Amino acid sequence: MNQKLKIMVVDDEAIVGKRLKPSLESSGYTVETFGDGRSAIARLAKERFDIVITDVRMDDVDGIQILEYVRANIPQTKVILITGYASVDLARRALDKGAFDFIAKPFKPGDLRTVIEKAARAPSA
Amino acid sequence: MTDDSGHTMNKAPDRPRESMCVYAPMDATECKSATADRHTGIQQRACFPVRLRLILAFATIFVYCAGVTLWTIYVLPAVHHKIRFLELADAYRHETAQMRRFEKNYFLYGTHLQDALLHTQKARSILADNEADILKVMSRGRLTAMQKSLASYAAGLQKLAGGHSPEVRAAVQHRLRKYGHRLTADADAFSIQERRALDRTFSLLRTGPLILLAVLMVILFAAAWHINRKIVTALGRLTDFTERIAAGDYTRITLKKTCRDEFTQLATAMNQMIDEIEKRQEILVQSHKIRAIGNLVAGVAHELNNPLNNILLTAVSLQESYADLPPAKALEMLADVVGETERSREIVRNLLDFARQREREIKCLDLVEMLGRAIRLVSSQARMSKIRIETCIPDNLPPVHSDRQLLIQLFVNLLLNAVDALSQNAHGRIAVTVDAPTQAEYVAVSITDNGPGIPRRLQDRIFDPFFTTKPEGRGTGLGLSVSRNIIEQLGGFMRVASEVGKGATFTVYLPVTRVPH
Repeated sequence: MNQKLKIMVVDDEAIVGKRLKPSLESSGYTVETFGDGRSAIARLAKERFDIVITDVRMDDVDGIQILEYVRANIPQTKVILITGYASVDLARRALDKGAFDFIAKPFKPGDLRTVIEKAARAPSA
Repeated sequence: MTDDSGHTMNKAPDRPRESMCVYAPMDATECKSATADRHTGIQQRACFPVRLRLILAFATIFVYCAGVTLWTIYVLPAVHHKIRFLELADAYRHETAQMRRFEKNYFLYGTHLQDALLHTQKARSILADNEADILKVMSRGRLTAMQKSLASYAAGLQKLAGGHSPEVRAAVQHRLRKYGHRLTADADAFSIQERRALDRTFSLLRTGPLILLAVLMVILFAAAWHINRKIVTALGRLTDFTERIAAGDYTRITLKKTCRDEFTQLATAMNQMIDEIEKRQEILVQSHKIRAIGNLVAGVAHELNNPLNNILLTAVSLQESYADLPPAKALEMLADVVGETERSREIVRNLLDFARQREREIKCLDLVEMLGRAIRLVSSQARMSKIRIETCIPDNLPPVHSDRQLLIQLFVNLLLNAVDALSQNAHGRIAVTVDAPTQAEYVAVSITDNGPGIPRRLQDRIFDPFFTTKPEGRGTGLGLSVSRNIIEQLGGFMRVASEVGKGATFTVYLPVTRVPH
């Protein structure tokens, strides 16, 4: 909570990254945003992130694949999934796969901050 | 084509509707009023029902048989009478023979004169008692002659009985011989005549029935042929018609008979039934559309989440950082909000457009736009199952006249089917291609998926209503039958090409609008 947490936001909706970056940075986090799963994973291979926040449904490489990559390669990193309301039960199943939490669209920046704080407090797996 | 019983039956459900019906009109509303007109027109025709024909046929046969029976009843007593009469003739001959015998005895031995007289008397009484009957077979002149001869003969015998001289005796003998000879000849002739008459009658009795039987055979043959033509053939054609309806071809029967009968009533009733079936089919298409909408709504709702999320994030961010935000940035964020709202509007509008009920409206349509809208509607479904939709649509597509709602519904049905087929597939691909060869009558729109394919033995059945291979509750089995119904309403047809393990291609052939120069 004291050190700057490194957060990655992955969503193919450009506006999500555009708004969350300044919003989360103003809370003291370091934020990098990506518009697709492939470049996000490429970045994860190079840089360590504390929290990865990713949309579940994306073309090509989706949020589940990112989750699987993280659990396999960098298990200390926590993954938070962004889901559409309709697929909440998919998110629940993803929790079994090792995701830390999920948040359903549409959400406010404040809601996301709450979840991030929860993740920051939780001990590393 | 018409047959000789007057019903028009049209075949070929595979060919487009325009070239199929010579008499039945093209669209539903025109058809209904035409049916009503035909109903009133039919009532004015003469009524010669099949029942009446059958009654007439059987009555004719009965009358004929009754006639034959009556004739028999008449003839047999006549024969009986003839036999009796023959016996009479023979009896007369017997009496004349006897009287001549006793005459000879008298002239030889001098005895039996009284016996001769007795038999003569008997012969006379036979003629007298049966005069009426005898006059039926011979002329009065001949009978009178016979009676006169007999009288003279009797007189001769009487003279002999009364005593005589030898000269008188000789004269009488001569006379007796003359008359006796004549009488015997007459009696023989009479007898032979009657025998011949009886033989002729029996001859007639032998051949008559054979002729009557031949006539009866002709009557029965004519009746059977007539019944076959009117009833059996008409039934066969109506059966074909029913099978055609079951296959989905709703062309009406046109009635061209000159008279009204039970088959006309049946055909009228069947046309009314088709009206009802078409109404039901409409309802079916509509209810299937609603089901399709249900399928789409989940995808659309999901799709709406994104713009809504974008709006929420942007607006809240604007609220949170309002104090320190440069006006340009604020305006940029507001522009984003507006843009995302418009995006939502498009998503909702697309679905509402599809869902709305509208009257059929045949217009010139841009196939590219129609396909675009249909693909748009199913795109979130597709993305949920990670299916890629690829299109290969050439420029310069010829115009297609169609109803917009129906056309989009058709494409949506086929695309949803493809999405369902690929639900278990990791790399689902749907290819939408359009083929429009120049000068061709049809534009071919193909929707290909790389799913499990459809076994050959099922390929005919998939268009049947209520046929589905999906698990209970998931599929109604109506999708393809509704699609086929739609394509036929639009004047086209549909084909499927598939092999197990190699995906499936559904091709829709839409008629091209050709403007005459």
